[in-house]
Amino acid sequence: MTRNKLKIAIIDLTDCEGCQVELVSMKEKLLALADNVEILDWRLGQKKKQNGPYDLALVEGSPITREEVKILKNVREQSALLVALGTCATLGGIPAMLDKEKRKSWYKKIYGSKYKPLGVDAIPLSAIVKVDYLIHGCPVRANELERVLGEILAGRLPKALGYSVCFECKAQGNPCRLINKKPCLGPITQGGCKAICVSGGEMCWGCFGPRRQHNKAALLKILAKISKPEEIEKYFSMFWQRLENKHKNNKKQKNG
Amino acid sequence: MDKEFIAKIEGHGRLRINWKKNKVDLELFEGERLFEGLMVNRSITEAPWITSRICGVCPIAHNLTSLKAAEAALKIKVSDQVKELRKLMVIAQMIQSHALHLYFLALPDYLNLDSGLEISKKYPKNFKDALTLKEFSDDLAEVVAGRRVHPTTTALGGFHRQPKRTELIELIKKAKNALAAGEKTVKLFLSLKYPQIETPLVFLSLFNGKEYAAYEGDWVISNQGKKFKIKDYKKFIQEKIKNNSTAKFGYHQGKGLMVGALARLNLQNKFLNPLAKKYFVLNRFDFKNPYYNNLAQAIEILHFSEEALKLLEKLSKKNISGTQPANLKFGSVKTGIGAIEAPRGTLYHELKADKNGFVAYANIITPTVQNLTSIEEAAQKVLESTKNLPQKKREQLLEMLVRAYDPCITCSVH
Repeated sequence: MTRNKLKIAIIDLTDCEGCQVELVSMKEKLLALADNVEILDWRLGQKKKQNGPYDLALVEGSPITREEVKILKNVREQSALLVALGTCATLGGIPAMLDKEKRKSWYKKIYGSKYKPLGVDAIPLSAIVKVDYLIHGCPVRANELERVLGEILAGRLPKALGYSVCFECKAQGNPCRLINKKPCLGPITQGGCKAICVSGGEMCWGCFGPRRQHNKAALLKILAKISKPEEIEKYFSMFWQRLENKHKNNKKQKNG
Repeated sequence: MDKEFIAKIEGHGRLRINWKKNKVDLELFEGERLFEGLMVNRSITEAPWITSRICGVCPIAHNLTSLKAAEAALKIKVSDQVKELRKLMVIAQMIQSHALHLYFLALPDYLNLDSGLEISKKYPKNFKDALTLKEFSDDLAEVVAGRRVHPTTTALGGFHRQPKRTELIELIKKAKNALAAGEKTVKLFLSLKYPQIETPLVFLSLFNGKEYAAYEGDWVISNQGKKFKIKDYKKFIQEKIKNNSTAKFGYHQGKGLMVGALARLNLQNKFLNPLAKKYFVLNRFDFKNPYYNNLAQAIEILHFSEEALKLLEKLSKKNISGTQPANLKFGSVKTGIGAIEAPRGTLYHELKADKNGFVAYANIITPTVQNLTSIEEAAQKVLESTKNLPQKKREQLLEMLVRAYDPCITCSVH
């Protein structure tokens, strides 16, 4: 019945589009999903573009430009649920590594002194609007996407997974990086990724965000035995640069 | 008649058309992420991890180009097996990106559909071919690079994790299916009617003289008979900063240039694999018509499927070994330049490491940046040569033209 179909918008702000590529990678599952919803707006996937109200808006990317801040506020107003898709949207992502001040000097170095930048700052969606759920990941993982969208379609607000990357990493049979004196943020990072980076040989950089009730102090003690302080700082600046401030300013937000 | 029409193009960009003045302007407004800045003072070993995040459609291309630049800086030589595994990654990237573009974005224009998803209902057989190609290329990326988007296994000098022989053998079957789907893709795109325009195109592509160069090559050649060394990339590609664009615009000797599938096919067709060559030779290719880039991408899907099968058969004969990452030595300031053929054309990364191995300078020139000037020039040509057509038709032709170049705005504003 068309009338009961969930009305969806998929919006992308400044990003790499990798999370939408993951969405497309769901293939048959995406088609099954598309049969159960009505996509009113999806720039990458269709020509049709309709205004809300939307039952659900999936927003990928970070609102870097003023225009994008406006778009985000507008989408928020039109949507019953607004879900952040991917780490640029949930934490600011890689572009958030540079703060507002550093950005200013890089505009000059990269574009010259006459250039008028469009960007202001790379920030998570929650710095501007209320976000109902965060689907973390750089990129998001199709299985997590499926779980979260399945919950929403069933009329429930999804819950964040309560375990860390370590739990999934062990299930994958990976040797522990920390025991082998290699850096890793797995113990304090929320699971859902199936430890894909560690399985490939890379460290966990924490793109799924902090696990609830994590013990950062304990991890820092272990890391201090492996790495220099400036290296440890870099581990946390890849994806967690904006986290400390965000927690201070935005306690209302539901953790995802 | 509206005074102005703004064509919607891929990504955060628009083509502004002033009918009265008969003039087009390409404007890009994706937010600046400043990748060349955010890498500075971080370890050069993180560069490939970071730059893959420039683009979710071609992350492998950025990952490999940064690896090549860093390895050139640190004078790291990689083994033949590492090269072959990386070539498999490039193949995965080409098929992933071309298939997504052709079936999901370009085909709806030609078949008059609203969305790529509609193909599944109206053209189920073609859709199945798209899925076969997507599945093979995603699986190939996962086995070799660790993930279908942003790689996890790659490192300076080699791989953190090597694919198992059984995984490679498993992929051979899928490569054969992809090859069949690739052939059907070529037939499909041969059956489409491409709009006719004639515009002079200057092509550039990587070249190594022994194969259809995509991963390896110290030279870039042009269809004007010129040959350039990669390390001189800033001399033969100039970038201009514009007020109405967050992407720089690329030029070759003061004019627009075209890189990507059509350019490679023009400059490297003698190195095509047999089946791809058969289709290339049998059909007349119009190298003055950028709309043919879509057909060139289809031919490349077939070529790279053949190449994948060859490489997989070779590599699966014995266990992979000798592909461990390099032991890194820093100590002096070093610069390296890497280039590969990304799906949309030649991609350049330059990385300078300081004596502690931290990035001191980074510069990236993406294929789409190089294509932007040519897109504008060709759009101008379409505008001038379609004066007798109804406005709606002209708008459609202009949107299709931009789409034929397969621009990646997110890459161009990195």
